[in-house]
Amino acid sequence: MEIFLPIAHMDVNIVLIMLYGALVGFLSGLVGVGGGFLITPLLIFTGVPPIVAVASGAAQMAGTASGASYLHWRRGAIDFKMGLVLMLGSSLGGGFGVYAARALLRAGQFGNAVIFLYVVLLGITGAIMLVESLRANLRAADSGIAHGAGARKSWLRTAVERLPWQTAFPLSGVSMSALVPIALGAAVGVLTSLMGVGGGFIMVPVMIYLLKMPTRIVVGTSLFQLLFTTAAVSVMQAGVNHSVDPILAFILIAGSTLGTSLGIRLGARLPADRLRLILALVMLAVAVKLVLTLLLAPDNAYDMTTELH
Amino acid sequence: MMRCLCGLFLVLALHGPARADDTLTLVLEPSRVDISADFSGAGVKAIGSMTGPGELIVKVLGPPQDVRLSRKTQLGPFWVGGDSIKLGGAPSLLFLRATAPIAMLLPPAERERQGLLLDSLPLRLEPQLSPEAASTWRKAYFELQRKNGYYQEGGEAIKISESGQFIVDIGLPGDLQTGSYRVEALRVSSGKVLGRTTGEFKVRLVGMEQWIWNAAHAAPWLFGSLLTLAAMLLGTVLSAIPYRLR
Repeated sequence: MEIFLPIAHMDVNIVLIMLYGALVGFLSGLVGVGGGFLITPLLIFTGVPPIVAVASGAAQMAGTASGASYLHWRRGAIDFKMGLVLMLGSSLGGGFGVYAARALLRAGQFGNAVIFLYVVLLGITGAIMLVESLRANLRAADSGIAHGAGARKSWLRTAVERLPWQTAFPLSGVSMSALVPIALGAAVGVLTSLMGVGGGFIMVPVMIYLLKMPTRIVVGTSLFQLLFTTAAVSVMQAGVNHSVDPILAFILIAGSTLGTSLGIRLGARLPADRLRLILALVMLAVAVKLVLTLLLAPDNAYDMTTELH
Repeated sequence: MMRCLCGLFLVLALHGPARADDTLTLVLEPSRVDISADFSGAGVKAIGSMTGPGELIVKVLGPPQDVRLSRKTQLGPFWVGGDSIKLGGAPSLLFLRATAPIAMLLPPAERERQGLLLDSLPLRLEPQLSPEAASTWRKAYFELQRKNGYYQEGGEAIKISESGQFIVDIGLPGDLQTGSYRVEALRVSSGKVLGRTTGEFKVRLVGMEQWIWNAAHAAPWLFGSLLTLAAMLLGTVLSAIPYRLR
């Protein structure tokens, strides 16, 4: 069952694209990531041009995050104050990232930059989370709030506490400078534009380990801020690069909504450490796959992309 | 066969040749390919007749496109993206069909003159490169186009009936570039081109596909904003319905 995509300028199988959407939606609902780190490579593998895959993935994540935010909101699992502060930063970072993506595309280095960022971020974050969640599972000490950074106060945490604009985030039970979530949001916004990811796989560990937020609140809040980050990036990708394919995005959303609902229901039954372990394993699996593409000699050293007009 | 020939005569009578040559006629059926939601490729038939002795070559040229070619280089154990070039003016599609291997029909100089050799295609490379480097990139581009099925050469792919009629099937891929496609038929004999005629068919987006493409390019910011709002609305509604039903 094929359908033609007017912006990607190719035909795709609707069922396959819906399955991709269901897979990333399931992960979104389960662990609070947008799933862009999966959907972008999957779409590229299907033949969708990288810039269209990245841009349409952002539109899909906006739709998925919107639906997932609704469900988490009904469960009272979103720290709106934290989410809005993060959003402020991510909007600034997202704007910069769109132009960086265009510059890299023109220089022919877009694919290179995306793969490099994926490997580094997925590999490091996934490994840290895997080690921590395994330790926590061994200790069998899951209180719903992460203890991964240990009781010892890190130099980073000390520095964070000295920043101005200290603010309380009651639902998360934390207090910190508003500059911290703004800076984190900005960094995530840049990644979203460059990689077609919502930055959830960076944001979720940062919220858990650095901001010390409860995992249950982290998942909902991450998706809530992803909604704004990805929506902003989707608009900018369409405006600057003309590369958002609505048909592709809508098919992905239809699939991901079903997956998200299942993920949220399963996530509510699993302990927090188990959720982090699942996220870590998924991230490491993708990182390993990407490392292999860097290590194995390509069938053809040359690659071709059609110039955008 | 009789039905096919009757169809051929009917088409020739209705359309007439695209550009007449005394010994060669050519009609394209259909003369327009519409890309809509269910498009996954199309077939165009080049129908014609040839009088007199000789062999036939049919060339199909797609609209020119600009592409960026990049190549991976080895950096230590890693294969990373290396340099890249912009390649402009290359036909997006090039099909060569003939009644015999083209290399046997025309000498290299004549093939080059007629644009039947890849090296004779007018490509613009940016930045300007040395002849050796340019040749390497050109060969890589042709290889990619061949591998992807956009450049094809099929000797002995055309059969001409005793009365001189021929039908050439032009199978077009699903990710077809829009624009004008030029079809050229050459009658050749003894290493020379004796006759020539050309035709043209157009490929265009229609319906919703055309509307989306136009909107995405004419008013990209408005299009992006509305599209993103629609995506968010769709996601919320699809999530809320099962929740409410529970």
